[in-house]
Amino acid sequence: MARKDLTSEWRTRELVPALAQFVVLALVIANFGFQIDSRNAPAIAPGVLWMALVFAGLVAFGRAFAAEREQSSLEAMLMTPASPAAIFAGKALAAALLLVLCEAVLLPALALFFSVPLSFEVVSAVLLATVGMAVLGCLFAAMVARVRARELLLPLLTLPLWIPFIVFGGQAVQVAMGGGGGTGNASGLLIDLDILFVVLTSLAARFVLDD
Amino acid sequence: MSVIVAASLTQRFGSEVGLDGVDLDVDAGEHLAVLGDNGAGKTTLLRILATAARPTSGRIEIFGLNATIERRRLRGVIGFVAHAPGLYPALSAAENLEFYCTLQGVDRGRVGEVLELVGLAELARRPADKLSRGAQQRLAIGRAVLHDPKLLVLDEPDASLDSGGADLLARVMRGRTAVIATHDHALANRLCQRTLVLRRGRVVGVPTRLRVVQ
Repeated sequence: MARKDLTSEWRTRELVPALAQFVVLALVIANFGFQIDSRNAPAIAPGVLWMALVFAGLVAFGRAFAAEREQSSLEAMLMTPASPAAIFAGKALAAALLLVLCEAVLLPALALFFSVPLSFEVVSAVLLATVGMAVLGCLFAAMVARVRARELLLPLLTLPLWIPFIVFGGQAVQVAMGGGGGTGNASGLLIDLDILFVVLTSLAARFVLDD
Repeated sequence: MSVIVAASLTQRFGSEVGLDGVDLDVDAGEHLAVLGDNGAGKTTLLRILATAARPTSGRIEIFGLNATIERRRLRGVIGFVAHAPGLYPALSAAENLEFYCTLQGVDRGRVGEVLELVGLAELARRPADKLSRGAQQRLAIGRAVLHDPKLLVLDEPDASLDSGGADLLARVMRGRTAVIATHDHALANRLCQRTLVLRRGRVVGVPTRLRVVQ
């Protein structure tokens, strides 16, 4: 499933270039909009990072099932003996990897524009948050795929549950960038949240994907 | 032996009635044509038979199993051709089938056989969005028989098919139980032993045995 989605994206290049362009644009605007200096950059950069990731994530995960709906292929897929949980896992994995590709553009650009360090701790915090955001984003995207107002509903449903990832991810990134504050175990909390939501969304997938 | 036994099938969409008390039985190896005007309930009925939808009320058994409960189990023995082909445009014809081989648990070697069966062997590497509408329909039919199903449910499969479409449908339906919705009475007469006519969600008359025209 993931290979199918990634192959389709590789051949069409519909999503990743647009998302990469968006995140760089967000950084450019933030760079001009905020008075960035060496003192406030570690405090501002995490917020800009998560804002760009949230919007990019909403687009990436929303497309995961919207595309299947547009192609009328979701029903054909569900008409096989394949487990809905496996289908969901494949979709979430592909969407997460596409977002990681955007992060591969976003993080170096963030380091460049804001002159903040790009360390292993920053990258790991972002990747850990991406896992949890991906499973939640894809679950709600599957739920709203059949609804006309899905572009409106998806953020309303997803953002409240993304807040812990944004909070702890932001703290972990801020500490890694030398901004101080936050809990010392933000990364540990992200791992706990990932495990919790991966399990819950896998169980819920069957009820969401099948009528 | 009856493969499909349905009693009082009713499907409501809010205040609208899609199917109203439809009774149906289809024997093993039988080909049944479902006829009716647009909006008669053909697609609604076929989606229920394919386990793509649950009826609002009524009972349906397929291969002796309750089709509203054992849906996943039955999907391994049912092949369904819906209105829309549901293909992945960026993947080639062969890649579309290979993907469904994985979902169906079927060996990928089957892809070549199916492409030959539906007449798309020469277009195996062409992206699905570059195929003609008729070729896409052939590919969708091929996908439906990839796992060698015992029951075929075909919703207007002749749409967009060329003059060879009837032969193709005859080939894929051979040796299987099949329910096919179509507007083409001549096609129904050629492929099927019985017809069921729907009007406004209800069966009109009794299922009729067709005369085979030699």
